Parts: sequence; structure tokens; C-alpha cells
Amino acid sequence: MTRPSHLRIPNPHLGAYYGIITSAFVSLIIMVALSEQLGAARLWLAYGMLLLPLALYVIIAAAAHTLDIDDYFVSGRRVPPVFNGFVLATVAAGGTGYFAYTGTTYLLGFDALAIGLAWAVGLFAATVLFTPFLRKSGAYTLPSFLGHRFRSRSVRIMASLLLIPPTAMLLVAELKAASVVAALFLPFSEGVALITIAVVIAAIALFGGMRSVTWSGSVGFIVGAIGIGVPLTVVAVLVTNLPAPQLTYGETFPSLQNLESILGLGPAQTLPFGQALPIAQPSASAKPFLQAFGMIGPIDMVALFLCLVIGTASLPSLLTRSGVTPSTSDQRRSGGWAVLFVSIFAMTAPCLAAFAKTLMLQDLAQSGSSAPGWLSQLNATGLGFVRDANGDGTVSGSELFVARDAIALVLPMAANLPFVCTLLMAAGGMGVAIAAASNHLFTIGGSVAEDIIRIVDRSGALPRLTMAWVAIGAVGIAACVFLMFADIDLLRAAIAAFAFAGATFFPVLVLAIWWGRFTKLGAIVAMGTGFAVMVLDAFIGGLAGTGPLQAPLASLIGASLSAAAGVAGSLFGPGLQSAEESYFEDLRDPAGEAIYDRAQRRIAAPSN
Amino acid sequence: MTEPEQTDRHQRQTLILGAASLVGVILVVIGTMLVAPLLNRFGFLHFPLGFYLAAQGLFIAIIVAAFLFVKHQDRLDLRREEGESEDTA
Repeated sequence: MTRPSHLRIPNPHLGAYYGIITSAFVSLIIMVALSEQLGAARLWLAYGMLLLPLALYVIIAAAAHTLDIDDYFVSGRRVPPVFNGFVLATVAAGGTGYFAYTGTTYLLGFDALAIGLAWAVGLFAATVLFTPFLRKSGAYTLPSFLGHRFRSRSVRIMASLLLIPPTAMLLVAELKAASVVAALFLPFSEGVALITIAVVIAAIALFGGMRSVTWSGSVGFIVGAIGIGVPLTVVAVLVTNLPAPQLTYGETFPSLQNLESILGLGPAQTLPFGQALPIAQPSASAKPFLQAFGMIGPIDMVALFLCLVIGTASLPSLLTRSGVTPSTSDQRRSGGWAVLFVSIFAMTAPCLAAFAKTLMLQDLAQSGSSAPGWLSQLNATGLGFVRDANGDGTVSGSELFVARDAIALVLPMAANLPFVCTLLMAAGGMGVAIAAASNHLFTIGGSVAEDIIRIVDRSGALPRLTMAWVAIGAVGIAACVFLMFADIDLLRAAIAAFAFAGATFFPVLVLAIWWGRFTKLGAIVAMGTGFAVMVLDAFIGGLAGTGPLQAPLASLIGASLSAAAGVAGSLFGPGLQSAEESYFEDLRDPAGEAIYDRAQRRIAAPSN
Repeated sequence: MTEPEQTDRHQRQTLILGAASLVGVILVVIGTMLVAPLLNRFGFLHFPLGFYLAAQGLFIAIIVAAFLFVKHQDRLDLRREEGESEDTA
């Protein structure tokens, strides 16, 4: 049933509910901290700190279960802007941001900052260019919007098929991030951890679709914010005497620079982008933290920034959330909140990396022959080690190897904080990864059901929700099976996914929303060209044995060619239908009901 | 003002506001990133200025730009709505 827009009022008790949930999580942290001081075994602390939040996500998803189509696909269009901002920021950065971006900032310092900046600018670009118009359209999925805009089933099916590769890459990356952390602290094998996390994610997406993904994802955001914020603030108090890490970490720079020079970390040389990007396996920091353009050159950094901007702006998992707020104005406002939240995280990551690097190098410089405690813990888990490569009996900065994605977990260890802080950091990362993964899973499953199965199978034998459940379940199982047999690098997978999304969808969306003369043929040619360039890049990179190393550059070339092909296809192909023109004009009127809801109401009217 | 004129004006202003904010933000970010090594000679809050801007200053600018954009676009939309309701009346 479609509700009139004036009834789309957000639940006034949401603030109280989330206050209670946040208090419950804080109480859990205090309980685990007390248990640790009372001598409880680490395993039980890990069970409490990691498994109870998992249960919380599933319980909230179950409480938000629904059989209403409107609730299932767009959360009833009753999500307040701040909450949508929570989830948008969580999906943009994700578990890959939480673990891989912090690690990349540790290893590359200044050179990594383009990634965080691109998330913020990308979300801003989506807010300016796309989301209010998608909200006005009211389509449940991104391909549905394109299908409605061009009155074309083929565009809809094609967009849905092309949406799968980037979203699936992000889904498996987030799934891996969460399951690796679970396997690290709990006595599960990686396979069992993977299945557990996949079941949780699938349950979140299945219970109430977008509704449960939103309410459970908001909790993921809160857990992530507390998870990274509390340990970091404690470290800031220990190191700088002030509980404002982002403002005060500059004070550590003189000692960090001093340590880097003592431990032989001299200025680095610029490398090709693929080699400069750190790998997931333990690696040594090869450049001073503050050196600008040390390993990634200015051109590569700008290309990476622009690629991630267009990728974030047109990421299907983010744009699928464009129908969930009560109005176009609220949708725009939620974009503003998302920019704020993702910016706070992106400002926090270099701070975390700077503290971690200072503390680790300090211990290394002072430890002499005995290994610091955190290094023994890293050694035991295979996440880090030192190797005296030159055999001089001392360890230099370039002989300390740490796994890129473990830096966030190393910080509390290096600061000698209680184990609960490491667990809190892990729980935060898992929360964010699960929230992002459930969003990606729902995006693929929902789109496959709505834009492929429902369009191909016109008999209407299967109810819409059954199709969505089947598609989400199948995608979840496929992601799980893929990860059991293949390994992926979180950072590279995420960059490739953003590059694919940017090249395939950014030009087509800009033209579809902002150019009235853009036609169905133009859309097909544009999407096809952008995607083909990315596949070609991956194929050539694969043949050369180096992988798709220049993904940012390929994405920008792909997007440019795609835009040119789209314009040419529209100018030289058949003209517009009048229905397309009126849809385009309707899209530009910010007031009133969503176009899709209005159409549904008209269809339903005669039967009432 | 007639309704089509009102609509055209709203669309033109929406396009100008959107393009100006977005292009402005992107150019400022890229420009600051590229001159960061030069700015690093100056200090700010114990940070080298170039690093500070890339790690924090630009984010603050993006947040301000985003909320200013939201506010101005809301005002444009409201003006169009008011114009349309006056026409209807």
C-alpha cells in the first residue's frame, strides 16, 4: 500500500530508542571493562564484546520486519535525514574505510588523504547532482529510476546487470573485513566466522529490507563511532593530555619526525600508483608521515581523488537510499549530514594513524633487543613482525612490518590500553562493516528481484517480496562461496568497485537528470562504454599479471568516453518520446508526491 | 511571473547553484592538495599548514559548503512553490 506523502512522518520516539540502544552498548563496554579488571578470560570478554552487538543488530532487524512493499524497499519513506546520513556515511566508508583506510594512512601518511576527501566530496556531489531528483522519482532502485526515465525495460535490465560487479566487490570486501576480525578474536575458523557474519547480514536484509537495513545500520554507525572514538580519545589523553584527538595530534609530529629520522625513514621516491598502494600483507612504512607526494605522485593523487568522487557519487548502494526520506528537501539534508559524518571519520583516520605510528616507533626506538608487548601479540596472530634485513642487530623503521588492515587494532595495544579497548575497536569495525555489507546485499538482491526477475517474468506468479527474499538469499550464499575459495584485498577491491561504479553510472546519471535531450540509446551506449573500458582495463592488467592497477585513471577515461558516447547516441539516434520529456520535467519539480507513488496510487484508485 | 517563467528561473538558479558549489569545492580541494608541499612551510595548531588543510581544513570547508548548499537550494525550492501557489490562487 502506498501512503500519501503527508502521512510520511518519522517516528517521534526514534531519538529515545537510539538513546536506549546507545546506553545499552555503553553499559556493555563498562561490564566488559569491569570483567577484565576482575580477571575474566579474554575469550569471554571477546564473546561479550563482539557477539552481543551482533545479536543486537539481528534483534533490531527482526523488530523492523515488514511485509509491506513500501516499507521493504524504501523504509516507508519515513527515515529522518540524520539517520539516513548515519547509514550513507557508513556505506561510503564501510569496514574497508575503518580498517584499510586507517592502515593506508599509517603507511602513506599525507598521500592517502585523497581517499577521505573523495568520500566527502563524492557524497556532496551526489547530494547536488542526483539524490533529490531520485527522491522525486521515488523509484525503489537505481535501475528502476533509469527504466522509468527512459520508459525502457532494456535500460533497466542492463543497469541492474552492470550494478552487480561494483556492489558485489564491496559486499565481499565488507564481508571479509567483518569475518576476519571475528576470526581473530573468537575461537572460530575463518570459514565459520564468514558463515556467521553472512547469516547476520542476510538476516538483516531479509527481515525488513531497507527498513531493517536502515535501523540496524544506524546502530552499526553508533557502535563504529564509539568503537573508534573512545580508544582514540583515551590515547589522546595519554599522549597529549587533552581529550580532543583530532585537534591535538599535531603535537606528536615533532617527536614522530624525530623518531622517523632516528629509525632511518628518509624521504621516499614517487612510485607508479599500483606499487605505491600498500598491500594487505604485513609491510613496512616506507615514507615519513608528513611528506607530501612521497609515494603517490600529484597526478595519481588527483586521479584517485576524482575517481573516488565520481564513484562515491554514483555508488548504487548509496543511491538506492535516495527514496527513504519524507521529501526531496529531507533527502538533500541527509546528504549534508552524511558529508558531516564521513568527514569526521576521515579527519579521525590520520589522527589514529599518527598516534599509532608515534607510539610504535617510540617503543621500537626504546626497546633495544627486547620486543615490545604489542609486537609479540602481532607476531602470534601473523599481523606483524620485525625483520633485521641488513643484519646490523638493530631494528630500523623500514624493518617493522605491520598488516595494513590491523593498524586500528594495534593502536590500543601500542598504547598499553586494557584489552577491552582493542575489542571495542574491533566491535566498531565489525559494526560498520556489517551495516555496509547488509546495504550492499540489499542493493544487489533488491535490484535483481525488481529489475531483472520481475521484468523478465511477467506472469506475476511470484509475489514481489518472495522474489526479493530469493534474490537476497542467493546473492548472500554466492558471496560466501566466493570468499571461501578466493581472497581479496579490501583496499584494491573497494577502489576497483568505486572505479567501476563511477565509469558506468556517473555519466549516465548526470545526463539523465540534467540533460532533457538524453535518450534511451544514449543511456545504453553510455553505460556500455564506461563498463567496457573498465573490463578492458581489468583484462589487460590481468594479462600483464599486474591486475587492474590503474583503476582510477581507467575510470576517468571510461567516464569521459561514456559521456561522449551518451551524447553522440542521443544526438544521432532516435529522438525523445513525449513520456520521457514529461518525466524529465516532472523530476525537476521538487514539491509534491514522488512520481512512482503517484502512479501507484492511480493504479490502485479504481479498485478502491 | 507566469508559471513556466517561474519554473525556468528555478531550474536555471538550481543549475547555477549546484554547478558553482560543486565545481568550487572540487577546484579548492585539488588546488589545496597540489600546493600542500608549499603550504607546509607554515604552521597551524602544531600542524604543517598543507597537511592540516588536507587532513581537516578542507573537510570543514566541504561540510560548510554542503550545508550552505542545502539551505540555499531549500530557499530556491520554497520560492518556486510560493510562486506556483500564487499563480494558482
